[in-house]
Formats: sequence, C-alpha cells, structure tokens
Amino acid sequence: MSQLIWNGLFVGSFYALVALGYSMVYGIIKLLNFAHGDIYMLGAFVGFGLLTMSGALATSAGFLGLLVVLLIAMLATGTAGLILERVAYRPLRSAPRLSVLITAVGASFALEYGMRLVAGPNPEVYPVRLEGTTLHVIGARITVEQIALVAIAVVLMVSLQWLVMGTGTGRAMRAIAQDPKASLYMGINVNAVIARTFFIGSALAGAAGVMAGAYYGKIDFLMGFLIGLKAFTAAVIGGIGNIKGAMLGGLVLGMLEAFGTAWLGGEWRDVFAFGFLIVFLTLRPTGLLGERVTERV
Amino acid sequence: MALSPSRRPRSRFSIYVGVLAASAVLTGCGGGLLGQDDEGADTDAPIVLGLITPLSGSSSAIGPYMQNGAQLAVDEINADGGVDGRKLELVVEDEGCDPRTATAAANKLVTKGVDISVGGYCSGATLPTLPIFEKAGIPMIIPAANSTELVDQGLENVFLVNGTGTQQAESAVEFMTKQNATRVALVDDNTSYSTDIAKRTAELLEKGTGPELATHESVTAGESDYSANVNAVLQADPDFVYWTGYYQEGGLILRQLRQAGYTGALMVADGSVDQQLVEIAGAANGEGVFATMTQTPDTIPGAEAWIESYRDKFGSDPGPYSTQSYDAVRVAAEAVAQAGSTETEDVIKALEGIDGFELFSGPLTFTEEHTLSSGGFLILSVQDGKFQLADSLE
Repeated sequence: MSQLIWNGLFVGSFYALVALGYSMVYGIIKLLNFAHGDIYMLGAFVGFGLLTMSGALATSAGFLGLLVVLLIAMLATGTAGLILERVAYRPLRSAPRLSVLITAVGASFALEYGMRLVAGPNPEVYPVRLEGTTLHVIGARITVEQIALVAIAVVLMVSLQWLVMGTGTGRAMRAIAQDPKASLYMGINVNAVIARTFFIGSALAGAAGVMAGAYYGKIDFLMGFLIGLKAFTAAVIGGIGNIKGAMLGGLVLGMLEAFGTAWLGGEWRDVFAFGFLIVFLTLRPTGLLGERVTERV
Repeated sequence: MALSPSRRPRSRFSIYVGVLAASAVLTGCGGGLLGQDDEGADTDAPIVLGLITPLSGSSSAIGPYMQNGAQLAVDEINADGGVDGRKLELVVEDEGCDPRTATAAANKLVTKGVDISVGGYCSGATLPTLPIFEKAGIPMIIPAANSTELVDQGLENVFLVNGTGTQQAESAVEFMTKQNATRVALVDDNTSYSTDIAKRTAELLEKGTGPELATHESVTAGESDYSANVNAVLQADPDFVYWTGYYQEGGLILRQLRQAGYTGALMVADGSVDQQLVEIAGAANGEGVFATMTQTPDTIPGAEAWIESYRDKFGSDPGPYSTQSYDAVRVAAEAVAQAGSTETEDVIKALEGIDGFELFSGPLTFTEEHTLSSGGFLILSVQDGKFQLADSLE
C-alpha cells in the first residue's frame, strides 16, 4: 500500500512538471500545445548530449554535475519553447483555434522526426545512471535518488508558484489569462509575456526530461508522446489553466495509475487513467481546482 | 478513396473519378499487377520483391537490419545471374509498426506491381496487410512477424519463415521446466506479437504439470515508468518472469524489477534480443537474463563469412532479422526458380513443395499451416553483457 502511494507520487511528480507547461500555456492563450511532450523529449536529449560530451567530468561530479546539466538543459528547452512559439504559434495568434491546434500537432511531429534525423531511431542510454541506496520507509522501497528527484520537482514547482503569484511577470501572465485585449491596453507587452510563459513551461518540461533520462536511463525520440497525453490528462483533472491544479492533477493521475494497476491489472492502467479524463471532461470540465469562469464574448 | 468499395450510392462525380482512376491503373501498369498473368518465365522484366519493414516509429531500429539483409541476398542472386535470367529488384516501404501505415504501404506495393512480398516485422502491423496481398494474388514470405494470428486465417499465400508464437511458447515452457521454475509471471506489451506468445505460454503452463502460472500482466509500450506493473508482478511472488515484448520496454522492465528487489530468473522473447536491452537494463541487471530466440548471425556456426560480407557492404553489423530477411529473399527466388514463373498459384505450389532448402534456421520445409516445421528456437543468456547460446533445447 505505502509502496503504491510512493510509486504514484514519484510518477506523479513527473506528470506534474510536464502538466504545468500545458496548463500555463492553455491558461494564457487557450492553446493545447501538443508539442509540449516533445519538449520533454528534447530536454532528455540535450541532457544526454551534454553528459556524453563532458564524458568523465560529469560522471565524477556526480549529482552536482547532473544538476548543472539539468540547468543548462532547462535553458536550452526554454529557448526551444521560445522559438516554437515565435515560429509556429505567434503568426497564428488571431487565427481560429483549430488552426493553431493542428499546427501544434505538426510541431510535435517536426520535433519528433527532427530528433530522429539528428539522433537516429535507436534508443539511447544515459551515461550517468541514478542508482543508489534503498531505504525502507513504512514498507515501501524508496531510493535516495527518488527523494532527490522529487525534491527537485518540488523546488521547481514552488519557485514557479512564487514567480506567478509574487512577481510582475506573474501578474502580467495572470492579467493576460483574464483578458488579453485589456492587458494590451494597460500597457502590458502581451507577446513578450506569452513568450516568457513558453520559456518557463518548456524549461520545466526539459527538467523533467533530464530527470527521467537520468533515472530511467532510456531515451528515444518518441518518449514525449505518451507522457504528453498523460500530462494533458493531469492538467484536465487538476483544472486546466490552473497551476496548483496541474500539480495536484499530476499527483492524482500518478496515484490513479498505481492503484488502477494494482486493482484491475496492468492492461487496465491506461483505460483507468484515460477513463478518468473522459469522466472529468463530461462531469467536471473545470477539473478539481478550476473555477467556473464566465465565458468572455 | 475512389477505388475503395463502398456501399453508399456513389455520386456521379465519384463514379467519374473511379473510372478515370481505374483506367489509369489499367493503362499505366502494364508491367504491374494486372499485366502479370500474361508474363511467363520468358520475359526479361525484373522480379519485384516488396519489403514492408519499420523505418519509422518505435521499432525503426529493425528496419535497416531487415532491408540490408534482404538487399544482400538480392545482390548475391543478381551477381549469380538472377533467377532464370531475370534480375531481382527490392522495393522497400515503411510500416512504422502501425497498422494504418502498413496498410498504405501494402497498397503502394501492390500498385508498384510487386511479385512477392518478403516483409513484415510487427505482427500487429502485418495482419491488416494479409487481405491486401491476398486479393492482389501476391505470395507473402514473412521473415520476422510470427504471431499465430497470421496463419490462423488459413490464407493460401501466407508463409512464415520465422518460428511462430506457439513454437516460441513451447520452447519457453520447456526451458522453464528445465530450470525447475515453480511460479511463472508473464508480462506482455498488449501488441499482437507479444500477447500471442504470452497467451500460448499461459495455456501451456495451465495445461502442463510443470511450473504454474503466477500472474499475467500487460503494460503499455512507450512509457518510462513501469513501477506499478512491476509491483503487481511482485505481488504474485514469481520465481521466473517472462517478458514477451520488445527490447525498449524490456530493458526498463528488467531494470525496474531488479530495483524493486526481484532476485529470481528473468527471460525475454525474441523481440527483446538486442544489445540495447542490456544497455538499457544496466550491465548488472542484464547479466544472466535468458531469451527465447531464433538463430541470429552470432549464434549460427559458420555464419562468420556471411557477417563479414554484410559488414563489407553496409559498414555495420547485422542485427536481429537480418538473416531471416536474407533467407526470405532466397526462398522467394528459389520458389520462382522452381515454378518457372511468377504466377501466384505456381509460386505458392513451389513454396509448398520446398523440401530441405538450407536456411540459417536449418533445412526448410513448410508445414500445412505454412509455418516452419521446426521452430528452431534456442535459449540464449546474457554472459559478460552479450547474448550467448545457453541451451539449444535439443
């Protein structure tokens, strides 16, 4: 039981990190950025490239070296997010939402198969593997590395919360989410703020990518697809557009999967998870934490 | 679209398009499918072999292995003067391990006038191509895909050069019994190939007197975290775990099983036999893992020369299903040579009549179901990080 909860929390923190980017972008420009999962993949590959290039250096620096790699990868994926927004989404800002959605799917394929051209179709294995001491905490097997990864995820999420609630940029983001036109009239540089949102969301996904690479060890060019769908589910469960909701949704989805597998068997895991997506979309489309917002006309 | 059968009454426009398209096919494909029946052995037109293989998607690593293996056979046969003076020609299409892509690929091959199909890796993607090739009268010699579902339909034109799921399951259970396993956990990835082996193994375990079935778990391919599934497997307390999916997930599952404290025996099916399995699992977790596998270049005595010529030609090592694809082309050439033509019925008859044709997997004679008479499955195990022959089950 405690093992199930821990497993759920651990997977859930990955889902939450990726779901945040989904939710932030949706909150601001009402776009489901389906390329977001592939930014996660990109992060994993940037981390892989850095670790391979630095060779023995990163391996000897251990966890600290990995942290540096994590930060650089976050910068890189953040920049990739900026470019994606500038090239694929900004020109379509006033186009119908469906066009942007289709562009997002296209961007997703471009990233996936672009990476396939660069890195090849074979999965790659991370040169640094997080493998360590196992602790037994109330019947659950927990490794020190798992705790460290969850801690990093929590730190990232707390800083995001501070950024959105406590800074000028955050205030601007929230303002645009409420009414982009009015924000523009109030002198907010809407495009710059949207770009920043993409940067932050992509950086978080990139961080999750590096962490997944270092922990699970295998990365490939399609690794972002399923987690993208799962993160979307998490964002909907928590209340899409709501930051705390994305975090909560990630953890809830992780738990649902862990318990769904234990109760119903592995073949039902995704039926269970995506079934909840449908249940939420029909019964409570605003999610656990979302508030009903009056539709702007 | 216009050529697909439809029960709805068609509009005038689509009839028009249909007629246009049909006439284009009739006039444009003289050397193609429709012209084939008139072609005897006396023409000089090349014999076109179609190879559908994953060049994109999750299994895209396998595609080049199969393509190169097949190309090697084509080049060797052509260098020897071809078949009855006719050259072989290989046309490759991507299946992406996806049923829809594979269907499109098969239709493309049919319109390109392929004589014999020598492809098929993912069973789930190969299944929907069967009726397409059957309708077009194209014999299929399937080198890798081996789900029993492929031959269950009893199609005349389908031949498997790889051992079937049933044969693999038999070898697996034989080895489990030999290892004195008591409780076996089966894990599959929900694809046709994988569930086929797992289901047949489960049946054998339930019927037999040897080890009992502890649990049968399915996972979703393409994820990184299988801790929930691993947990469910461990709950059943097995002492032997058999993974029947592909190596990408296999590596992760082996690793996560070991991390979760599982110390019993591990075995994987042929889709997981790849060096990458050990790399993904980590050297320590991969060591000692067993595998049910058909012969590979590494485990075949006397294949060194073949590996050498493969390396010379493509600058890389052969991988899984290079040999089977190579053999599929050779079987196709042999059948055409025996039949003296590329007409469907003659070729099928010639294939059925093959008796003891030497393949990497041993002498070939097809059973009535058009499968190998002996599966030729061996047990490999990982020793010093490499798959080595552990037990030939003879």
